[in-house]
Amino acid sequence: MSAFDYLLNGFATALQWQNIIFAFVGVLIGTVVGVLPGIGPISGVALLIPVTASLTSGLPPEAAATSAIILLAGVYYGAMYGGSTTSILLNTPGESSSVVTVLDGYPMAKQGRAGVALSIAAIGSFFAGLVSLIGLVFLAEPLSEVALKLSPADEFSLMILGLCALSGLAGKSVTKALMMTVFGLLIATIGLDNVSGVARFTFDMPELYSGLEFLTIAVGVFALGEVFKTILERDVNEGEIAKISRIIPTKQDLKESAGPILRGSLVGFFKGIVPGSGATLASFLAYLLEKKISKTPEKFGKGAIAGVAAPESANNAASGGAMIPLLTLGIPGTGTTAVLMGALIMYNVQPGPLLFEDHPNIAWGLIASMFIGNVMLLILNMPLVKVFAKLIETPPKYLIPMIVAISVFGVYAVRVSVFDLVLLLLCGLVGYFLAKNDFPMAPLVLGLVLGPMIENNLRRALTTSNGDFSIFIEKPVSLVFLIIAVLWITVPLIMKMRGKKVIVNEE
Amino acid sequence: MSKTFDRFASLIFLVLGVAFVVGSQNISASAYGSNVGPNIFPMGLGSLLILLSLRLFYETFKYKQEGKKEKEKLDYKRFLIILVAALFYVLLLEEIGYVISTFLFLLVGFQTMQKGKWLNSVLISGAFSFGVYLLYVEVLDGTLPGLPTWLGL
Repeated sequence: MSAFDYLLNGFATALQWQNIIFAFVGVLIGTVVGVLPGIGPISGVALLIPVTASLTSGLPPEAAATSAIILLAGVYYGAMYGGSTTSILLNTPGESSSVVTVLDGYPMAKQGRAGVALSIAAIGSFFAGLVSLIGLVFLAEPLSEVALKLSPADEFSLMILGLCALSGLAGKSVTKALMMTVFGLLIATIGLDNVSGVARFTFDMPELYSGLEFLTIAVGVFALGEVFKTILERDVNEGEIAKISRIIPTKQDLKESAGPILRGSLVGFFKGIVPGSGATLASFLAYLLEKKISKTPEKFGKGAIAGVAAPESANNAASGGAMIPLLTLGIPGTGTTAVLMGALIMYNVQPGPLLFEDHPNIAWGLIASMFIGNVMLLILNMPLVKVFAKLIETPPKYLIPMIVAISVFGVYAVRVSVFDLVLLLLCGLVGYFLAKNDFPMAPLVLGLVLGPMIENNLRRALTTSNGDFSIFIEKPVSLVFLIIAVLWITVPLIMKMRGKKVIVNEE
Repeated sequence: MSKTFDRFASLIFLVLGVAFVVGSQNISASAYGSNVGPNIFPMGLGSLLILLSLRLFYETFKYKQEGKKEKEKLDYKRFLIILVAALFYVLLLEEIGYVISTFLFLLVGFQTMQKGKWLNSVLISGAFSFGVYLLYVEVLDGTLPGLPTWLGL
């Protein structure tokens, strides 16, 4: 079957009535998550994993996994749309990938062109979503075929590369990022060993036999961490919300933003495929590119429509692009995709080369649903943008305690254990203080998700080589991965030492 | 960058690294059919964590003198109230049931965030706790601790 036939089958899955509803709910909640202050895409997705688990509990396993991942991915790219709303109307980015949008979005709003800025952001996001999906369709098959040929040693090195890619660019200190990665891998070893069945670091506590639950930790460090930050730092929006008048862009607006949208989508897509670079960097690069090639660079920062179109397209294309290494190689390149991967594993679905072979319905159903979701988002975001803008005014007074209650409900519903609830609060506390001091949380969660797989591949490789570690550098593919991994960490360090500015990815 | 926090954190992670290395000595070294046992991975990672912690500790000496910037005032009072309330919430969840514990936690939470408007707080807390319970337990057939039996309802 060709990619096209697979895609048609995917549409058959995605167009089942329950999946249409799941996609709709996903993108709707995603937009809300993007608009609401104090809750970003990672915490949004983490919070919703347990909710989707209970929503899909009546379905057969594979259908449940498909529906759940359709909803969660919808939250992810939906949040990318919603994030622009607060940037433009309030001068405050809803999530980090909309930081650059503030530069020109808010001046546009002050000139009375808020509606146009919002609609261009929506159109750009839509186009970018389509570009990255087409890329996904064409790259998914060949990439996963290549990935299928990898030996355990190659796979181990590839995952090390993924970890290094996320750590090398995450946050301000590489040392801290690496510490978080290693710590994530370490806590993944708690529990019964998969291979030998030996209990590790369980201290005879039955709660620890199955290991620390990914879900509890992700919801704790991301959702509760954010909540604690909002309370402690009184992180509340103040300031005037710009009025929205005209929504439909003029022909001139469209003409001016067509180029930036196209270039932004391509930049974002390729940036998204590369693990560790993420949507924030993509939107930065797209903005810088537009400013560089513009004939009127002095207009940037004062309400240039290109300064909204390019970064908003780029961050959406990047989130689509980031799905490629996740689905084909099993390597999540961003914090949010790491959380998505954890969700798939919760459903006993292993992302990676075998996903397209073992679960074509899930992989292609998800891809097709992203087409549908993007259309829904365009429809939601053009006429309804005024309704979503109202959400900005939600008083944090009600929002904050409710997020705590939703976290508690979610974790309890899946785990039914008070131990996990206490762990949840603890993770929130530790997460807040570590994140505040530049210890990035995404590598920790990534380490936790990849830990068991890395260990399995390590041990399989070492078993074939009779415990000889040189197998990792004797296999050419593995060697190449390891060399890239080392470069990924060292090149930015060397550049920093030479006094060059290195842009880091914050998610 | 906070020198104190980073030093403290590097020491904690150092201790954790040592604990994992020591702990992995007690795990049997070989698994059936493989000469690579379940102890290698945590032992290696523990050692890595030790090295990285030492590196961070060393880095803290190179931090530039922290400018005496004004310390942002953190809202510890509200934070502690909500944290303690959340702790009671999770510990009492199974004792007094989902509806009552959630209702109480939300009420305390709303009032801590902003005093006043009691009616709104009561209505929203009630609607949330009952709503979630009904939806999850009655409609979706999930399990949550119900009302405590000693209420006799």
